[in-house]
Amino acid sequence: MQILSERLKIAVKNTFKTLLMVMPMLLAVIGLMGLFEVLVTPDMIHSLFRGDPVEDTLIGTGIGAISVGQPFLSYAIGGELLGEGVSLYAVTAFILSFVTLGLVQLPLEWALFGTRFTLLRNFLSFVFAIVISLLTVYILGFFNGIA
Amino acid sequence: MASHKQKKVVKGKSGLIMLGVVAVMYLVTFYVNADAGKEALKAGFEIVKMIAPILLFVFFLMSLLNTFLAPKSISKHLGEESGVKGWGIALLGGILSHGPAYIWYPMLADLRKHGARDGLIMAFFYTRSIKLPWLPLMISYFGFAFTLILTLLVILGAWVQGLIADKLMSLWDDS
Repeated sequence: MQILSERLKIAVKNTFKTLLMVMPMLLAVIGLMGLFEVLVTPDMIHSLFRGDPVEDTLIGTGIGAISVGQPFLSYAIGGELLGEGVSLYAVTAFILSFVTLGLVQLPLEWALFGTRFTLLRNFLSFVFAIVISLLTVYILGFFNGIA
Repeated sequence: MASHKQKKVVKGKSGLIMLGVVAVMYLVTFYVNADAGKEALKAGFEIVKMIAPILLFVFFLMSLLNTFLAPKSISKHLGEESGVKGWGIALLGGILSHGPAYIWYPMLADLRKHGARDGLIMAFFYTRSIKLPWLPLMISYFGFAFTLILTLLVILGAWVQGLIADKLMSLWDDS
C-alpha cells in the first residue's frame, strides 16, 4: 500500500511537471484558435471554392486544415457548400481535414512529438483526406447506381 | 536495428516564444480592429472553458497510467510486439476519446516516451475524426450511407497510415 501511494505521488508530480511544461504552448495554441475563429470566417471559406472538383478537393483539404471549431461547424459549412454546387469530393475532404489536420496545433505537436513525427503525420493526414474523400464518393456513387 | 524510439521531446523555451508571438498577434489585431481582438479573446476563453474539464480528465488518466502501468507494460500493449491488440486499443481509443486532439497530446507523448509505437499513435489521431456524438448530425446533413462509408474508410485509413508510419520510421531509423 505504501509503495502504491509513493508511486501515485511520483506519478502526480510527474504529470503536473508535464502540465507545466506544456502550458505555455497550450495557451498559445488556444490563443491562435481564438484568432482563427474570428479571422477565418465561413464567408471567407465559401469564397475560396472555384467549381472545379479536383481543384476544390485540394482547396477543401487546405481550408479544413486552417479552420478551427467544433466538428458540427464543418458539417454545417459543408452542407451549405454542397447546396451551392461545390462537389461532394471537396466537401468530404474539407470535413475530414477539419478534424485531422490543424495548422494552429502544429507548434504543440512539434514541441511534444518532434519534427519527423509531426511532418509525417500531417503529410499522411493530408494525402488520406484526399484519398478517402475520393473513395467515399466513388463507393457512394457505386451503391447509388445499383440501388 | 536502431531503435526508432529515440523520442525527441523538444523542451526549452519554444512554448514561451510561441506564447509571445501569439500575444503580439493579439496586440496587432487589437490595434487594427479592436472588436475583432475582443471577439478572438472571448473565443479563446470559451475554448479554455470547454477544454478545462477534459484536460483535467486527461491529466487524471495520465497520473493513473503512470502509477499502474509500468513502461514495460506500455511497451507490451502498445509497442513493437503489441499486434492486433495494439491496433484495437489505438483505433478504438481514438474513436472513444473526447474533446480536441491537442488535449491528448501530452498523454500520447508520454506513452510514446515509454515505448508506444508511432504508427499506433498516428492511428489514434486519425480515428479521432470519428466523432460519435456528432454522427447523427452528420447523417442529417449527408445521409446514412455517406456517414457509414466515410466512418469505415477512416478506420481503414487510420490503420493503413499507422502501418506506413511504422514502416517509414523504422526505415529512417535504420538508415
